[in-house]
Amino acid sequence: MEDLTHVDRAMSTAQDIKISAKGVQVHYGDNHAIKDVNVEIDDKTVTAFIGPSGCGKSTFLRCINRMNDTIDVARVTGDIRIDGEDIYDPKVDPVQLRAKVGMVFQKPNPFPKSIYDNVAYGPKIHGLARNKADLDEIVEKSLRKAALWNEAKDRLASPGTGLSGGQQQRLCIARAIATAPEVLLMDEPCSALDPIATAQVEELIDELRQSFSVVIVTHSMQQAARVSQKTAFFHLGNLVEYDDTDKIFTNPQDPRTESYISGRIG
Amino acid sequence: MKTSLLASDARTKKRNAAEARFKAYGLSAIVVAMLALAILLTSVLTNGLSSFQQTFISLPIELAEERVDKQGNRDPAEMARTTTIGYAPLLRAAIVAEVERQGLTTELSDKDLGDMISKEAAATVRNRVLANPDLVGETITFDLLAAGRIDGYFKGRVTLETAALDGNTSPEALMVAQALADAGVIETKFNWNFFTAPDASVQRPEAAGLGVAILGSLYMMLVVLFLALPIGVASSIYLEEFAPKNRITDIIEVNISNLAAVPSIVYGILGLAIFINFMEFNQSSPLVGGLVLTLMTLPTIIISTRAALKSVPPSIRDAALGVGASKMQSVFHHVLPLAAPGILTGTIIGLAQALGETAPLLLIGMVAFVREYPAAYTPEAGLFGEASTALPVQVYNWTQRSDPAFVERASGAIITLLVFLLIMNAVAIYLRRRFERRW
Repeated sequence: MEDLTHVDRAMSTAQDIKISAKGVQVHYGDNHAIKDVNVEIDDKTVTAFIGPSGCGKSTFLRCINRMNDTIDVARVTGDIRIDGEDIYDPKVDPVQLRAKVGMVFQKPNPFPKSIYDNVAYGPKIHGLARNKADLDEIVEKSLRKAALWNEAKDRLASPGTGLSGGQQQRLCIARAIATAPEVLLMDEPCSALDPIATAQVEELIDELRQSFSVVIVTHSMQQAARVSQKTAFFHLGNLVEYDDTDKIFTNPQDPRTESYISGRIG
Repeated sequence: MKTSLLASDARTKKRNAAEARFKAYGLSAIVVAMLALAILLTSVLTNGLSSFQQTFISLPIELAEERVDKQGNRDPAEMARTTTIGYAPLLRAAIVAEVERQGLTTELSDKDLGDMISKEAAATVRNRVLANPDLVGETITFDLLAAGRIDGYFKGRVTLETAALDGNTSPEALMVAQALADAGVIETKFNWNFFTAPDASVQRPEAAGLGVAILGSLYMMLVVLFLALPIGVASSIYLEEFAPKNRITDIIEVNISNLAAVPSIVYGILGLAIFINFMEFNQSSPLVGGLVLTLMTLPTIIISTRAALKSVPPSIRDAALGVGASKMQSVFHHVLPLAAPGILTGTIIGLAQALGETAPLLLIGMVAFVREYPAAYTPEAGLFGEASTALPVQVYNWTQRSDPAFVERASGAIITLLVFLLIMNAVAIYLRRRFERRW
């Protein structure tokens, strides 16, 4: 397996391809939510998915860590590979996959437990810490990376639900990166936050790019322009255009993309 | 046309009137309900509170050796041959002597005076003597139960007029009793017996207590708790979190809702057929009662547990799955703790419902007259296998007896049952407050 990934890396040109999707189709019962999406997402890059509501960008995001498995009527076909490995292979355990592909949700959803326990939960169930000192270190590192350490270090034992909205979302990010994932999926992480908290989280996303491949779904085109290097535009379940963020916003190839970013459809 | 805000128009007036009417309907409904509750409580309390008091006669009794220990060897086995009938003359002599000592003159025969003491009293004295043979030959002061009619006189149930028409007592006896009470020989005290004594026969309501019924109800509640809680919670978790949503689970769901509405007596018939006739458990045993009540309580627990699980926001499940928890870890680490207050409340309400249930118990023979305390375990009868009765069944039993003293006992039992139910509901509320967490 190791060798295979090396070959893949050698083949890719400018950047390593972390996630590659080919011919992905998603059905929710009778509803054809994703129609034949092909996309290659680079490592150590922020990739933004934009598009009007109901266009399938969140659905596609949830395919990458198989969260759609929890929905009975959802059916995913096609091929999604992370580092060349098919994540829908019957041999893949979704639990293991989700430790590797962290996720941050639209609404901050910390567990109703202490700040410490929120971050320590993932490492605990995956056995990433051998002892208490290890765990303390992981918690501190994750909270530092999520830019929450200074605010939270004196109140690690107080409940995570007692934090402000922006702090809660950063706590969720800390929780997601505590399991040392390789990919971080963010589903509209700033939609429930005020502008100041949004700015903090955006700054954080930019820093996280050093260590992870970040995929972010957003409704805000300004946000996509600010934080991402690559942007994908979804419309009615189709991936319309996927390119460098600069190109998408300055020189879109598809008329639908142009209409959307200039505010005519949405 | 320009309208003024200071005058309300016809439409607004109509709307306000409708609102006022609706408020009045609601208020009157609540008033009617409160009134019904007040009437119920007043009737039960006025009838039943006196059962927590009991009239005792304090008498020095000479435990003559020739009566209680005919062999004179203090051997309890030999002494046990003297039955309670052998003790009755001792009590009669004691009360006659007491009446004389108080300087009372009465036309009552010695037998009539003896009848002022409960028939249960001889057994009390005999048990004391058999437990401690050294008492033989001494004169010991006993607090003995007064007969039901005498007790009734001090509680206002029996008057001189009713006594004149009564074959069991007479106005003279009541007057002697009054004189003895004035002298401090007869006293009314708190009635611990009511909670510890077993049921007594129709002739001696003064001795009847709830001991066996409380113990039987306790055993049944233990059976229900240890069976219904794990089975109910496990099946709810499976149905709510793991089972695929298809036609079969739909049918199961509908059937659970239907079972919750099945009349409880049907469960009694089921219990009679399966647990007694087929599995041959002892009838009247708390085990069978507990099993029947478990079946009856399960739908309640399953429905409330599923509601509690449903009320946990899906974002918590997503969060747990998102960090790589397995389905079971997400349920047991996150969903179940959040649902726990609701589950506990549902379970306690189910238990309270089971505690007050009578009909199915009648069918499995728990109406029997039980004088012996059931042991929790015996090699012959197994766990909770000895005949017992239960609180609501005891109420049913006592209300069927003709002696008005049993009306008081039955009301007292109702009060006791209501207090237990109130305590359980209070615990449910406390647990919900204590463990409720916001997210």
